[in-house]
Amino acid sequence: MHTASWHSVGMTLDECIKCNVCTTYCPVAAVTDKFPGPKYVGPQAQRFRECGQLKSPDISVDYCSACRVCNEVCPSGVKIAEINARAKAQIVADRGIPIRNWFFGRNEQLGKIGSIAPQIANLGFHNPFSRFMAEKIMGVARHAPIPHWSTAGSFGAWFRRTPRLKSDKKVVYFHGCSTNYYEPQVGKAAVAVLEHLGYQVIVPPQNCCGLPMLNNGEFRAAEKLYRSNIAKLLPYADQGLPIVGTSVSCVLVLREEASEMLDIENDETRRLRNALWDMSEWLRDLLERGELDTNFRELKMIVPYHVSCQARAHRMGRPSLDVMTLIPGLDVREGNAKCCGLAGTYGYKAEKYDIAMKVGEEAFRFVRAQGDDVRFTTSDSEICRWQLEHGTHKDCRAPIEIFAAAYGLYDLDKRRLIQK
Amino acid sequence: MSDLIVIGAGLCGLIAAYTAARAGKQVKIVTKGLGATHWHAGSIDVLGYYPDDATPVMRPLETLHDLTRARPQHPYAILDGTLSDALENFASLTRELGLPYAGAPNSGDNLWLPSPVGAARPTFPAPRAQLAGDLRRAAPMLIVGLRGMRDFYPELIAENLSKQGQRARAAFLPLDLITDRRDSNTAQLASALDDPTRRAKLAAALKQLAQPGERIGIPAILGMDAHAAALDDLQAQTGAAIFEIPTLPPSVPGVRLTNALRNHLRQLGVRVEINADVIGFHAEKDRVLWIESDASGRPLKHRAEKFLLATGGILGGGIDSDHTGKVWERVFDLPLAVPREREQWFRARFFDPAGHPIFRAGVPVNREFQPIDAQGARVYANVWAAGNLLAHADPILERSLEGLAIATGIAAARRAVK
Repeated sequence: MHTASWHSVGMTLDECIKCNVCTTYCPVAAVTDKFPGPKYVGPQAQRFRECGQLKSPDISVDYCSACRVCNEVCPSGVKIAEINARAKAQIVADRGIPIRNWFFGRNEQLGKIGSIAPQIANLGFHNPFSRFMAEKIMGVARHAPIPHWSTAGSFGAWFRRTPRLKSDKKVVYFHGCSTNYYEPQVGKAAVAVLEHLGYQVIVPPQNCCGLPMLNNGEFRAAEKLYRSNIAKLLPYADQGLPIVGTSVSCVLVLREEASEMLDIENDETRRLRNALWDMSEWLRDLLERGELDTNFRELKMIVPYHVSCQARAHRMGRPSLDVMTLIPGLDVREGNAKCCGLAGTYGYKAEKYDIAMKVGEEAFRFVRAQGDDVRFTTSDSEICRWQLEHGTHKDCRAPIEIFAAAYGLYDLDKRRLIQK
Repeated sequence: MSDLIVIGAGLCGLIAAYTAARAGKQVKIVTKGLGATHWHAGSIDVLGYYPDDATPVMRPLETLHDLTRARPQHPYAILDGTLSDALENFASLTRELGLPYAGAPNSGDNLWLPSPVGAARPTFPAPRAQLAGDLRRAAPMLIVGLRGMRDFYPELIAENLSKQGQRARAAFLPLDLITDRRDSNTAQLASALDDPTRRAKLAAALKQLAQPGERIGIPAILGMDAHAAALDDLQAQTGAAIFEIPTLPPSVPGVRLTNALRNHLRQLGVRVEINADVIGFHAEKDRVLWIESDASGRPLKHRAEKFLLATGGILGGGIDSDHTGKVWERVFDLPLAVPREREQWFRARFFDPAGHPIFRAGVPVNREFQPIDAQGARVYANVWAAGNLLAHADPILERSLEGLAIATGIAAARRAVK
């Protein structure tokens, strides 16, 4: 029995039986004819991309949002989303990368620079005139939910500044760029929960996981990040420490996507994969081993849960749901929307913003259907959270924030730790 | 921990899960992808041709007696005559789902409906929208295509029907009547016809084309979520009997049925773990304790009291094979009834009326639908199997695919939860 999932992307091409299930479920093809559907740009067009052809035969692959719904429904195990990602990378290698997409790929640097003076950065970028100009000059959709830099300082700075629990039980935390620069509250909630469970939290130096680059076809640059993260994280993995992440997409990249897309599979990638956990998945594992404190306080509210496509791509079930259902009073409603639409940096692009909003309508409709009393929605991916807030005008919280609140450690309204 | 895990989300798996959930059990479906329902015609084939000589079957439930006497190992034979109960169950379920199925006017007869190339295909209950296509009806047919729509050729259908003595002619309408897209597949076209104004335009154009007394055959795109209303509107507005002809995949009648069943299962509290390719299991003595599905990190464990396999046959992916002639069942590596040598897989003629032995390969089960080994001993105490995975049937040749899926799915689930 094989224990890890790694099959060559190219080899799965021949498994396609042209059943069209992927095209039927593709949320992008459903709302625009600019994208003919996964089967056409994926396994079908791929046959024309082989044999050293110079130019990619079909640039419509650029309209693939990389949500992976196609992989999910495929009865034959074809890695369609990965085939598409590689085709995009080939286009970038052939024709170069638009300056906008180059910027989108550099999430880590943008976060860092903006965080030097976040108030000024927010004012400078997030005003109607700048956003209008960014759309006109760069093609950055002016209404897209691009996050604000945190004005409370980065997560990393907070973590170093505040006294931390020491313990024999240790866990490594991968926060990702978004938690570090835009949503440090998520990281604080994570640390609070981990320490509440008696774990000493280690936050090692880390890079962007590389997802924005993978999605924008910059494979070489993404590979550098991947290798750098392996070097930084592997020593902890080799000590037998679990490495948990609150960003479901970062964990997916480090565990599987980067390795698959970049065709890097070796003993190091396997060792890292075996140590990595999604936060909720790890909590569920504690639960199954009887080590999770389930003494939650009541949270009396309805919370619509949008299961992000990145969470589903893990194929790890619904760990956030499994843990949230233990919280007394909490009425979690699981949605079935295929994708929020934003899909990484897809919905930030001016030519794709409307498509992203149409795709997201299924998720927005689900939230609206849960009634006006809903105060918060929840989703594992920051991208989905921003898009859901944009589309529904309701606050969206990470599951870890809800867990922290249920342990009495966190104020969901004010989005900050409760000081003891 | 579930009471029952059903592996596979084709028609058989969905029906089995429904049966167990209705019996009050906690049920979960674990599936690699979505099932074969997306390329099936939506109608329920029960028995269309007698195996061995491929004689057409007119009254399937009656012919079934001959079949089960001649082939006591056939899955239909294990049902002990409960096939008609199963079909009645399915019919009442479809009414509940708002997608009512019915059979030929002369109860017990097979329907003969036009295929996407105009061949006559024997089937038993069919969705309401396909019934007016029954080729034993006398009314002449107008087959209407949409110019620019892929894979639907009304002239070919009409010509083939005419050669079989039917009165049929073809006509075209422009595709932009129903969509502004440059390119669409059938599922997207069906969703476009959920819009009442779109179908009013289509109805007006069809009315212009049809002559009095003609019934109108159109590709099966008549609405996705609002199918029932779309059919009613179109018949009322044209004053003609309308029938859908199933298309190449994605086959909308199959998609509608899947969607309706999955929504219903959700309401019954059945979780469907999709994209969960089962790659391992753990058994102690004669009991399976859990199965494991492939995941990004560590395999995901699914524990249950009982397991029901509905993974399909060679076509559906429940059985795999390689070039060396090895054939195996993919989840529990169960013993298979299969030709011993690769040379015996196929007969010389592609359309041999006796079919090809490899397609009869499958999991042999006892009368409880539990997999058995070559000596007839039960392999696991808590594993059941159903559908196209079962040995000793050739559902494609017999045209019994959906009948077997439904009847054995219900039967196996009932035995598993009793």
